[in-house]
Amino acid sequence: MQEKANEMIKIFIDKEPVEAEQGTTVLKAAERAGIHIPHLCYHPAFPPEGSCRMCLVEIEGFPKLELACSTVVKDEMKISAKSERVVKARKAVLEFLLAEHPLDCPICDKAGDCKLQDYYDEYGLFESQFKEAKEKREKKLKIGKSLILDQERCVLCTRCVRFLKEVTTTQDLGVFHRGVHSSVNIYEGAAVENNYSGNLAEICPVGAITDEDFRFKTRSWFLKEGESICPLCSRGCNILIEYHPGFPRFEVPKRVYRIKARENPEVNDFWVCDRGRYGYSYLDEHRADKIIMNKIEGENVLTWENISEYLGEKIKRLSSAKKTSGIALILHTWLSNEELFLLHKIFKDDLKVEKIFFADLPQGEADGYLLTSETSPNRRGAQEIGFDIKPVDLDALASGTDFLLAFGPFLSGLFSPKDLKAALNTVKRKVLFSSYTHELNSLFDIVLPVALIAEKEGSLTNVEGKVQGFQPALEPPGESLPEWKVLSDLGKELGIDSKFYSELPSPEAILIEMGKKIPFFKKKND
Amino acid sequence: MKEKVLTEHFGLENLYKIDVYKKQGGYQATEKALKKMKPEEILEEVKKANLRGRGGAGFPAGVKWSFVPDTDKPKYLCVNADEGEPGTFKDRYIMSHNPHMLLEGIIITSFCVGIHAAFIYIRGEYEAIALRLEQAISEAYENGFLGKNILESGFDLDIFVHRGAGAYICGEETALLESLEGKRGVPRLKPPFPASVGLWQCPTVINNVETISNISHIILNGAEWFVKQGLPKDGGTRIFGVSGMVKNPGIYELPLGTSLKDIIFKHAGGMKEGKKLKAVIPGGMSAPILTADEINIKMDFDSLVEANSMLGSAAIIVIDEKTSILDVLKVVTKFYSHESCGQCTPCRIGNSWINKIVKRIAEGKGKKEDIDSILRLASNIEGNTLCPLGDAAAMPILSITKKFRKELESHV
Repeated sequence: MQEKANEMIKIFIDKEPVEAEQGTTVLKAAERAGIHIPHLCYHPAFPPEGSCRMCLVEIEGFPKLELACSTVVKDEMKISAKSERVVKARKAVLEFLLAEHPLDCPICDKAGDCKLQDYYDEYGLFESQFKEAKEKREKKLKIGKSLILDQERCVLCTRCVRFLKEVTTTQDLGVFHRGVHSSVNIYEGAAVENNYSGNLAEICPVGAITDEDFRFKTRSWFLKEGESICPLCSRGCNILIEYHPGFPRFEVPKRVYRIKARENPEVNDFWVCDRGRYGYSYLDEHRADKIIMNKIEGENVLTWENISEYLGEKIKRLSSAKKTSGIALILHTWLSNEELFLLHKIFKDDLKVEKIFFADLPQGEADGYLLTSETSPNRRGAQEIGFDIKPVDLDALASGTDFLLAFGPFLSGLFSPKDLKAALNTVKRKVLFSSYTHELNSLFDIVLPVALIAEKEGSLTNVEGKVQGFQPALEPPGESLPEWKVLSDLGKELGIDSKFYSELPSPEAILIEMGKKIPFFKKKND
Repeated sequence: MKEKVLTEHFGLENLYKIDVYKKQGGYQATEKALKKMKPEEILEEVKKANLRGRGGAGFPAGVKWSFVPDTDKPKYLCVNADEGEPGTFKDRYIMSHNPHMLLEGIIITSFCVGIHAAFIYIRGEYEAIALRLEQAISEAYENGFLGKNILESGFDLDIFVHRGAGAYICGEETALLESLEGKRGVPRLKPPFPASVGLWQCPTVINNVETISNISHIILNGAEWFVKQGLPKDGGTRIFGVSGMVKNPGIYELPLGTSLKDIIFKHAGGMKEGKKLKAVIPGGMSAPILTADEINIKMDFDSLVEANSMLGSAAIIVIDEKTSILDVLKVVTKFYSHESCGQCTPCRIGNSWINKIVKRIAEGKGKKEDIDSILRLASNIEGNTLCPLGDAAAMPILSITKKFRKELESHV
């Protein structure tokens, strides 16, 4: 349902007329107009706190400076966001904060990402007048699984405290003591132990809460970020993947350093769960980057250029002999909507293949908030496309299969190696599309390295039926290619509906085609 | 004819007992209000009496009550008995000498606003007084002035005494509410104001002990009489608490507008040991300091504002020539640094910073530029904090440093 848009009113920020939504705050109205009003304690997920005093602005008719984060706009309101008086107050707040700050930026993980640094750069650059002894506090408090609290760097914005109060409702952190001795801490004998703890390091505007998973591994300014969707459950949380563009820079071939939440009020708000945040090793570890040819007749050397010809020839031979019953597919639901659609069209609609199985990770446990029990990202998409999601039946697979196309690494986790080997040995020709170097690969004739969701374009349908598009955040390693590319080449090669394939240059075009055939995807696409 | 209103019977033995109190006409106002008056009439009378808040801000009580919206939610009254402003000790006298006068005020106020639960938030150190209040409350229940269907008027009211845990900030009305709710006592962002969103998110009236204690007198004698006890826009008397280097420190109930000079030299007997007057803090420690030349001033809200100070809680701290102004500044800055709740940046760090400088000066390690630093830092606190504590600290620090700069400079 379309929400009724709020009435717009006119306000002035630094004499410039700005349109603002009725009922919004000065800070939000400014943000909407592209004017950043400095703030530390304000976070859009929570009600205004008003404690950092960085966002003070001058409003005509008000004797004192007012908080931009909590003052509601009124028609014709005249706001000065950078008048001399405002800048003076802003500098004053910065001076206070820096007075009791350890200024250990060179060894602070947040350097480069730190709001205090940014604001000092913008408003400060003043000499310190603080000649007194700074307060000594805890600098390395382990407060949770992966979180380190440095109380000296803390600016007491209490974003962390409020997150744990309002989002997780676990209230694991509190403010202790009073005045300049005030500090954030865990309660005696307790710790931040929930599936959302990693968000604390992310919302901390300074280097007070840092993440052991990231700490001291790189500097944030070496990293680039790409947008993607978390595939580790069926929620489809929007994420940013931070990676080192100079990979491999060091001996440890690490490319991805950090996952951050990307705001989406309809899916994950500002958050990702710890499973999604810390579970990124799948992006770099044991990645396949070359076509593997274990068993191949003749003198064929397979490359991506001739692979569709090779596969197409095998399929066409079975098809013309009316033996498509000898074809089997093992799919998974990490494949995108577009890929699953192409698979459905080629094998189910056109070739009438019946042996189609799904090999996914087993179900996990939902956490009651974002994390779903479904462990793969696109089961709903596969259902909407029309697949009957059947688990792999090794007996059925072993009876009369001439040609098997299998996708993904998950098969190995579902059966004992012995059973799997026995079943696959009965299949004449078998090809695996996988992103990983894995024992499983040795059971197939050919293994084709494919891109992960983070490395390709497409869309996923989340547990609530929301279709979300994604673009490549990372380059696929080595020779890896996305499955949709191989599948549309194969479709073209088979020549069954050649016009259809000649007009499908991209996942975007495939999704439009899907919309024409499946109302579910049209509706979501509008 | 001006007379004592609140402290009239303070000399009487066992005034805190309900029988003695009733013999002096006690609870007649309650009978009158509950049996003969409508809530609107009470509100009108209090408004006409121009009773301004005695806690420090001086906001008209009747106007405050009228801000309470008409809702289905429960409404609450919180009596601010967290008397923590240095130099202030008037409320403890009222509560220990005449607790029933306060209870009467609470009953009438609650009846007027439609409140059925009232809380007395009393500072933790007043343990004995809290006990006395509890006793008075149970006497009031026994005599039918509290509980269900009070004096058969159909009006119900319960009063609860809640002891604070020793934080100055809990005298700030919204921090008081937080503390009363069982949370860490830190001020809330305003708006919304407590009159609409207060205790447990319900409309709440918060008044000082002395303010509420005036109510029964207004009801019994009328608004016109009350105004005559003070000034037209500032009705009633004021209990001045005089402390420091005077011959007779103590509380003095006098008409609003009495001159400061008279209070010190006539009522409080003049300077102790014949010392010369150096300075006066006229309204609790937060009030900007006055020099000996500035004491020819009327003690009322407006006159003190004109003199760039404030009447505040009407606590007069008298400082003689022998007292080092650096010591005064040290006490002031130590207090605010210690009592800042720590929630907002300028108050949390500014007050501690200033205190560190003043301590250093007192240790003989001061530098010339320190005086300017104190002024700069205090003015960076002033007006920029979440609650009035920032201003309460900056005002005395600025005025002391400016008015006694020469003396302070002699220490660096």
